[in-house]
Amino acid sequence: MSERPETPNRQPPFVVDAVTFGFGRKETAEQSPVLKNVSLTIASGEVLGILGPNGSGKSTLLKVLMRILVPQQGRVKLFGHAHDAVSQAEISRRVAFVPQETQQAFPFTISEMVLMGRYPHHNRTWGPGWESSEDRAVAMQAMSDLGVSHLGGRLITNVSGGERQRAVIARALAQEPEILLLDEPTAFLDLHHQLEIARIIRRLNQERGLTVVLVSHDLNLASQYCDRLLLLREGEIVAMGSPEEVIAGESLERVYDCPVLVDRHPQSGQPRVTLPV
Amino acid sequence: MASVTSHSGKAHAGGASAVPAPGFLSGPEPASVAEGFRSAQAVATLSPIKWFGVSGALGALAFVTFVACLGFGTETISFANVAALLAQGPFAESEIRNAPHYIILWQVRVPRVVLAFMVGGSLAAVGASLQALLRNPLADPYVIGISSGAALGAAVAVLFGIGLSILGLSVLPFYAFLGALLSLLIVYRIAVSYGSFSIHTLLLGGVVLNAIFSALILFLTTLADPYKASGMYAWLMGSLTGPDFPTVLILAVYLLLGVAVLVSQASALNLLTLGEEAARSLGVEVERVKRVLFAAAALLTGSVVAFSGLIGFVGLIVPHAVRLVFGADHRLLLIASGIVGGIFLMLADTLARTLLSPTEIPVGVVTALVGGPIFLYLLVRQRRRIVS
Repeated sequence: MSERPETPNRQPPFVVDAVTFGFGRKETAEQSPVLKNVSLTIASGEVLGILGPNGSGKSTLLKVLMRILVPQQGRVKLFGHAHDAVSQAEISRRVAFVPQETQQAFPFTISEMVLMGRYPHHNRTWGPGWESSEDRAVAMQAMSDLGVSHLGGRLITNVSGGERQRAVIARALAQEPEILLLDEPTAFLDLHHQLEIARIIRRLNQERGLTVVLVSHDLNLASQYCDRLLLLREGEIVAMGSPEEVIAGESLERVYDCPVLVDRHPQSGQPRVTLPV
Repeated sequence: MASVTSHSGKAHAGGASAVPAPGFLSGPEPASVAEGFRSAQAVATLSPIKWFGVSGALGALAFVTFVACLGFGTETISFANVAALLAQGPFAESEIRNAPHYIILWQVRVPRVVLAFMVGGSLAAVGASLQALLRNPLADPYVIGISSGAALGAAVAVLFGIGLSILGLSVLPFYAFLGALLSLLIVYRIAVSYGSFSIHTLLLGGVVLNAIFSALILFLTTLADPYKASGMYAWLMGSLTGPDFPTVLILAVYLLLGVAVLVSQASALNLLTLGEEAARSLGVEVERVKRVLFAAAALLTGSVVAFSGLIGFVGLIVPHAVRLVFGADHRLLLIASGIVGGIFLMLADTLARTLLSPTEIPVGVVTALVGGPIFLYLLVRQRRRIVS
């Protein structure tokens, strides 16, 4: 992984300015938007957690950042460049996206999957695009960082959920991004693998200075591992701030429409959420 | 608002949660010695050397099959004789040119076997591309209704005699192309409207499309005169009968163009198997790639159907077999499927010509009898995998 020099006065990774997004045709999109007038700035090197109930627009916001979805109104700026002024490949060289679930019906090997992360660096739209030795070196490093080197020859269809998720994060690292977007990275994993993925994310943030934005249903995981949290309800930002500020009984009860108990994690002292009996 | 909160109080909190050193994350042991050995290869991926090696070897195999298939037919020609006559070239001296075997070989069998190779190769390449595009290993231009869309387009043109040739070139492939494009767009809508992995919705949609298009074709044929109608039936069953050299050449131009476009998009196809959102996040201009792929797939299916009718299942079983042997990377898969599909249809057509000689079985019947059961087997296995 090549080091990027920290340039002074650089623009923030993301500036989201009054974004409104809805699915479907123009009229239906405007009548029932999934994101309503959302504005936020994401700072370099932070871990931002996006929380909210089902259908609150968490994943949609993440996909707008990746330009998988294009908002009807408002602007997204990536390091000061307007989103619609750059190519998809340019975005993919700076931002990597880890989807909630990776389904693959075809027998690709883990190595092949990770090498796909080099696609935006080939910068070509025609031809086979053979990987260079540098591409291979970057992919191998990413695999070793995520502890999946020994799985290189295994088929993606034949590994466990935790191994697949690590391989997908390795693919994201192979993009050599500055920003990592994760959509519920631990949703389908057992406790052991949840902890493993959470630690990997923190390590990437601390050792490489990767800016991380993650969507999560797991309030406690977010409280534990995020610098800043953003609480969404019905497409609007309800609260934004440190876990201390956001994980508070009152606002959670209002957003999730359900009574909650908030106490402290015995080790870290971070706020912890449990449901009443 | 954009302030970064400090890491203090969290970074080193929790004595039990020591951050593992890079590269030393605990991972489970390789499942078997064989797999451990395989994964010891640095990066198990496609290289240009493997690409050239495999396509070269398959190309040689295709040539051997081509020569072998030329000998079979109502009149058997020995291998030595085939080789000698082939060596004479298509424009031999007049005394050789009038020899019966020379005429059979150059005027009947060479165009036909070449046609079989091109048609089989195109169908297999289209099948592999559609499977990636629809993220469905059971997609095939025949099964999901693209071929019958093309057939409907061609049938409309034939029965109403719409501009059958421009500058001496048949425009049938153009109408078939339009029909194929229309049904491809319908099928795609069906596939995406229920998420990316509803295998059964796609197949059911294909079955119904097939039924509708077949009904329309049959309706049109009843309007036509009986002579035209019987020709239509023979064509619909899939036949490689009686092409002449100019026909084969024109078709070769369309098909080479289509296959070249598909192969040029192989890297993007690899990423599209991850789903459109993931492909986009990896830098693929998804809408542009899809338009290019739709056009190429419709061109190939339309041209093939216009010349040789409905030949099913080649696009299904060939990519499946090739994937098992050479892996899923479309840079190799497309070209290897193309060559193996050509080999498969040359053999199937040779069977069709010789089994009940001098009577010919429509080659579409042969491929359906071979491919149908394999399709059912794959469908059942797929279902088991989903259930388990």
